[in-house]
Amino acid sequence: MSTLELREVSKRYATSVETVTAVDRVSLSVSSGEFVALYGPSGSGKTTLLMLAAGLTAPDHGSVLFDGQNVGALSERDSARYRRQDVGFVFQSFHLMPHTSALDNATIKLTGSGFTLREARGQALPWLARVGLAARVEHTPEQLSMGERQRVAIARALVSDPRLLLADEPTGNLDSLRSQEILGLMRDVCHERDIPGVLVTHDLEATRFVDRVYTLRDGHLIDGMDSELAATSP
Amino acid sequence: MLVHLYRVRLRSHAVQELLAGSGIAIGVALVLGVLVANTSLTSSAGALIDQVVGTARLQLTARSSDGFPQSLVKTAKRLPGVRTAAPVLRQSVAVVGPHGSDAVQILGVTPGVVGLGGLGTNQRQLASLRFGSGLMLPASVAAATGARAGDVVSVLARGAMHRVRVSAILGGSTVGALDTSPVAIALMPLAQRLTGRKGRVTEVLFEPLKGTDELLARELRALAAGRLDVVTADNELRLLEHAAKPNDQSTSLFAAISVMVGFLLAVNAMLLTVPERRRFVADLRMQGYDWRQILALLGFQAFVLGVVASVAGILLGDLLSHVFFHRIPAYLTTAFPIGSQEVLGTGMILLALACGVLATMLASLSPAFDLRPSRPTDAVFHDRSGNSETLSRRTATLLSLAGVGSVALITVMVLGAATLTIVGGVALALGMLCVIPYLFVAVSRALRWAGERVRSSALIVVVSELRAITTRSVALAGIAALAVYGSVAIGGARADLLHGLNVNFSEYLRTADVWVTTGGNDLTTNSFSDEGASAAIARVPGVQSVRSYQGGFLDYGSRRLWIIARPAGDRPLIPASQLLQGSLPHATRLLRGHGWAAISEDFADEHHLHVGSSFLLPTPSGAARFGVAATVTNLGWSPGAVILSASDYRRYWQTEDPSALEVTLQPGVSPPAARLAMLDALGHRPGLGIQTYAQRSAQYAADARQGLQALSEIATLLLVAAALAVASALSASIWQRRARLASLKIQGYGTGQLWRALLLESVIVLGVGCVVGALAGVYGHALAARWLRIATGFPAPFSLDLDRVALTLALLAAIALTVISVAGLAAARAPARTSLQE
Repeated sequence: MSTLELREVSKRYATSVETVTAVDRVSLSVSSGEFVALYGPSGSGKTTLLMLAAGLTAPDHGSVLFDGQNVGALSERDSARYRRQDVGFVFQSFHLMPHTSALDNATIKLTGSGFTLREARGQALPWLARVGLAARVEHTPEQLSMGERQRVAIARALVSDPRLLLADEPTGNLDSLRSQEILGLMRDVCHERDIPGVLVTHDLEATRFVDRVYTLRDGHLIDGMDSELAATSP
Repeated sequence: MLVHLYRVRLRSHAVQELLAGSGIAIGVALVLGVLVANTSLTSSAGALIDQVVGTARLQLTARSSDGFPQSLVKTAKRLPGVRTAAPVLRQSVAVVGPHGSDAVQILGVTPGVVGLGGLGTNQRQLASLRFGSGLMLPASVAAATGARAGDVVSVLARGAMHRVRVSAILGGSTVGALDTSPVAIALMPLAQRLTGRKGRVTEVLFEPLKGTDELLARELRALAAGRLDVVTADNELRLLEHAAKPNDQSTSLFAAISVMVGFLLAVNAMLLTVPERRRFVADLRMQGYDWRQILALLGFQAFVLGVVASVAGILLGDLLSHVFFHRIPAYLTTAFPIGSQEVLGTGMILLALACGVLATMLASLSPAFDLRPSRPTDAVFHDRSGNSETLSRRTATLLSLAGVGSVALITVMVLGAATLTIVGGVALALGMLCVIPYLFVAVSRALRWAGERVRSSALIVVVSELRAITTRSVALAGIAALAVYGSVAIGGARADLLHGLNVNFSEYLRTADVWVTTGGNDLTTNSFSDEGASAAIARVPGVQSVRSYQGGFLDYGSRRLWIIARPAGDRPLIPASQLLQGSLPHATRLLRGHGWAAISEDFADEHHLHVGSSFLLPTPSGAARFGVAATVTNLGWSPGAVILSASDYRRYWQTEDPSALEVTLQPGVSPPAARLAMLDALGHRPGLGIQTYAQRSAQYAADARQGLQALSEIATLLLVAAALAVASALSASIWQRRARLASLKIQGYGTGQLWRALLLESVIVLGVGCVVGALAGVYGHALAARWLRIATGFPAPFSLDLDRVALTLALLAAIALTVISVAGLAAARAPARTSLQE
């Protein structure tokens, strides 16, 4: 049982002109097997929240806890280990290694953890099969469709058996059909593996695939969908 | 539309455009700098010779610096077909001013030279020549000696010193190319007095009447009676071209390599902008631009960037040629009045400009591939890796086969004809470049194999990056390979040549413990009047013997031969290490007799001579027959050398004047101490220089080093420029990948892991280039050594100096990796949020 918990978390960015509060006293708890969406417009603080959860930045106020561990207080080395061992991360633009097979792309996290390529491949193959790419493991990103590339990215995120799944606009580059496939896959994985998952999106349609929706607006978290925002969403 | 969109681009990507432009400019600068260095030597001498001879087309010239009686000029002027004739006396002298001395040729002229338009004269110079009673110095000589108009300077000539007033300093506006030439001009009587050649001249310049050139040449030959030469007025230039040929050819090879490096550099700089240009093309297509408009836009932008950057490169190249490349080999200035004028021809400028623009246009073409119907929006949806310019493995294999094939062909070609070595050197460089892509495939496989067995995160990241064999990686490795190739091959040949020359000159000078000469950087070719000098030296305590060494230059066809006339008492007469054909003891015995000579092999081959055959040498007393006692190398003088006995020289050159006094000391006498005693004994002869064997050897070695200095400077500059270019391009390439690196950080990679991976990748790119370059360089070195030995006759036995190769590689790697390590660390420290979208 793993839980991601944000307690009264605030994060500010100072520029030469002003100080912007990206996240303001946000509290959130995501339990095992729960797939939640942080919905909000651009600049609302979604990605900052994701970075806080991944230990990529420390909060100015409050705490980010994963299984009781204060993620924001970790050293750089421990923070990297936390992401390597506990977090699976999916990006909007995939960030796959070009001209490298889907299989080898999926191993990149394991080799960073000290596995040999051969050992890492052994672990990655079932995950590629799980995301429906068993027949395309030797294909390079250039030979795969956008949806398939994102599946590789999901396999890469899951191959280290993470205890937390974080996704930053994972369907931003996909068409509607592929988006549904990917979101459904991520939700299923969270349920199957009984891990918490956080999806950051500004796509209203994406929120249909999650268990709970939070809306972020000007750094404030609102439980549920903001009806005003939903009404203006395309 | 074109201008507007380019302005938009400049505003939004100013830094990228500036970086690309800088890369192109450096490439063009390298090309131009070497081209200028390569052509200025003979071009500046050509300008000088044109300036001296004016409208003259024929000349009657002496076969030694003794010249011939001026009275002959009167007879010559009366010959049919003569429009104008002007006598000239040329002698090597040294001018000593308040701040230093300069070795120059004194030109003794008469006002008649004005009739030929010689010396770039106009009415103002006419006045100077008629009424000037002193020496006229070009601005460059005045600067070197510190002399000003009105100053009294010393002229050291033929072992004597004279004081003379400087009547005028001649600038470029009045005498053109002469202002940078190592000459001093005086009216004939003064020149004859200063050089001790009273009543004698060394040449007469003729401007024939229209259509009478042949007639006049025949008449002059009859007048010369086999004791003087009748040649075209610009014959000196042909002689210089022959003498400077090895120098020109070696710098030509460097110029070709620099062109290739410069071209690759410019291409590489442009490739850095390709990913972003591809997105720009895709955006335009989305906005409804058709392929013609986009092609026109890409072409226009590349053309403007290419032209602007190339012009900047041309200015930089001109500066480079001034600062680094423009050194005149001292060995050539002993025989030819080569000026320091830099010749920047229109052809060179256009070639450099064309290189820059072509490279820019070629490199900017790749976004145009997205205009193919199958790839309408590739750039928009393509992964942002920037690695879009890939070479397929099939292409890599085919290229490597072509490369290996061309190297095999070069080998056969060069073994068949050594003169093709320079072409072979360029072809070898191209063949080497062709092999690089396949090496990337092989290295990538090897790393992958290792990665499957070794726990290394860096290795896997590198394997992934290298698998995309990009044109950029190949170009980067290619730049490193070319630079290493050039440095190793030319550096090796230079080292061989230097070693060979040092051994040669050491043997040549070892015949005496102390040398008395006219001083200066000469090949012991300037004679002087003994006037009791040998007797005075012989009386110095500790002196065992004093022998008269004679010698000079003799023009034969297109060669200015170095004549070495050794006294019979010299041991050895022939430097043993330079003997190519014949028996040393037998040849020495023959040379101690009469009518035998040891000649350079190149000269022997040209005239189909071999040991035992005979030939006619055009001496000042007429053609003299000599038997070939042995063949030798060119003894470090590219047109070739002839060694004969001093007694033959005295007989055929009709002079007793020595070029040097060779002094052998009694056993146990210290040469430096004996030298001081001789200086005392010759106190009244300040024009004579006295050097111990060690001092003279050191001077010859320094001259040899100076003569080859341009090569080493170009090699070093090429290497440093290539290292910086590779470093900056690799750094820029790494910087463009920050988002992907940041994504790896989110996957749990640490800064250290990423930094090591980036360094490893750089080491591999550099390593591939360096290894290929070093191997090709050693091979090129062997070819060059063979060429120097066979085609040019230089004493340059091949020797592989692995330390020097290692030093070359270390220099390149150290510069490049230092820069990359800093840029790599900055990229590896990129915050992870760089990969996120908000």
